[in-house]
Parts: sequence; C-alpha cells; structure tokens
Amino acid sequence: MAERPEDLNLPNAVITRIIKEALPDGVNVSKEARRAISQAASVFVLYATSCANNFAMKAKRKTLNAGDVLAAMEEMEFERFLEPLREALEVYKKGQKGKKEVSEQKRKDKEKKVDSENDKSREEEDEEEDEERMEEEAEGEAEEEEVEN
Amino acid sequence: MLLWTGTCSLKTPGDASVVRFFFWKLNVCVEYLFFKNEMAATVATPVTPTEHDPDRCGSEEESRGAEAEESGQPQQTGPGAAGSHSRLSKLPLARIKALMKTDPDVSLASQESVFIIAKATELFVEMIAKDALVYAQQGKRKTLQRKDLDNAIEAIDEFAFLEGTLD
Repeated sequence: MAERPEDLNLPNAVITRIIKEALPDGVNVSKEARRAISQAASVFVLYATSCANNFAMKAKRKTLNAGDVLAAMEEMEFERFLEPLREALEVYKKGQKGKKEVSEQKRKDKEKKVDSENDKSREEEDEEEDEERMEEEAEGEAEEEEVEN
Repeated sequence: MLLWTGTCSLKTPGDASVVRFFFWKLNVCVEYLFFKNEMAATVATPVTPTEHDPDRCGSEEESRGAEAEESGQPQQTGPGAAGSHSRLSKLPLARIKALMKTDPDVSLASQESVFIIAKATELFVEMIAKDALVYAQQGKRKTLQRKDLDNAIEAIDEFAFLEGTLD
C-alpha cells in the first residue's frame, strides 16, 4: 500500500505524452521537471478531490458527482477548464450510454443461452437476433438522441 | 493462396469510423464500417502471395501497438478495450480513483466525477508545462527544467496550492 497519497503516481509515459503534445516541437523536458509535473498532477487530483468533496458535503451527499468537481474547478480559479470539461463530459456520457446498452444485451444473451443450451434450433434464431440487435442498438441510440434534443 | 488477417481497433467519438486499407500492389481499396463501441473486427481477405502487404499492415499495427505500449495501459488495444475511454482520457481512471480514495473524507465518487478529474488533470499538466516553458525561453533554453516549474508556481496564482508540495 502507498505510504503517502503522493506515492500513487500517474504513469510517467502518459504524463510525458501530455507534456510533449502541449509544447512545440523541439522543446525537451528534463527528467526532474517531468517528475515534478507528475507530482504536481497528483497534488492537483488530491486538491480537486478535497474541494469537490466540500461541495458534496455541503449538499449532504456522500457521493462526489460531476457537478461537485466543476464547482471545485471554479473554486480553485481554474475557470478556463470549465468549458472543455463540460464538452468532454457530454461525449463521455454518450459513450457510457452506448456501453450500458451493450452490457445489458450481453446479459440478456447469457440468460437466453442458458435456456437454449439443449435446443439447437434456437441457436439459429440467436444469430438472427444478433443482427437485429445491432440494428436496434443503432436505432435505439438515434431515438435516445432525439429524445434528448 | 495466402490469407492475410489483421485486427483493427480504432475508436473515434463519431458514430462510425471508416478504416481504409489500401493494397497498392493489387490496387484494391477495401472499406469497412465499424459501429461505435464495436471496436475490433477481424479482417480476412484472400490475397495472392505478395511481400509488401504483410509488411505494410505490420507497420500499421506496429505503430498502433507502440502507441498502446507508450500509454502503458492496455486500454487502447484489442477487442476487450470496450471503448471505455475512447481517446477521451489519457490518464487511467482506476489510478485517479485510487488517488481520490486516499482522502479519508471521500467515501464514494461517481464515474463521471473521476473522469472529469482525470480530464482536468490533463488540462492542468498542459497548462503548467506551457507556463513553465515561458521561463525556460526567458533563460534562452529549449529544455524545460525543474527551476522553470518552480518559477511558474511562484508567479502564477492558480498554482499557489503547489507551493511546498513538491520534493
């Protein structure tokens, strides 16, 4: 287990990539600077978490939610992050919705397969249903987007 | 007759990603449509014996594989990746969540909140790198050094919380 919270560092490779993409070509980063940025990032996570947690506790909630984090960003004077964060959140939420449908379908499939283990003819039906499901997913997503709009 | 099989796993935020493989030797262009979150498709096409196609496909896969290795997480490769990050967040959500849980006051955090903190951390890293670069350029250097970071932290209000926290 980590001795200190800061010992849980984020992967160096990812940090390096983010830094390199942020800086123009030809600029290098020393090992110490990279390590310091990685540490700073960990501290940032902890600070943001603590701030967000304050908002959650104020609202008498035990679970941190997205709104708490966004409020924390404002509190920490990182308002410039708010717009890009909100956009990223939208994309993320849509992705999550798609995933839920997939996992729900998988669950239904499992139940069907257990039932139809002895029934060979049903296997053919399942294959057809797979194709139908793919279409349904696409339609379902379109429907949901319409409902949202 | 040689069979070439390749696995393609590309995720884009859009509803469909189009992958085009060009087989220059045969002047054949093949297009496949992949639905969102159904990432991996195994492509098998009959190909007359050629030397270049496997190399070409191999190099494509290699570059993708190298990127996946660099990221240090198995998220971007293969069918099991389940589009959970879809190139939205480079940082591993599990690690972020573990960090968050070291705070004794934090009991539960929604998935969305973990994601937003991950994304915010990404933006933070970009921001501090760019701000530190200003100081490096002042010193006419092209390499970012620790002292540039220290200067940035001292000078910029938003980074005040970092003072005294770095080794």
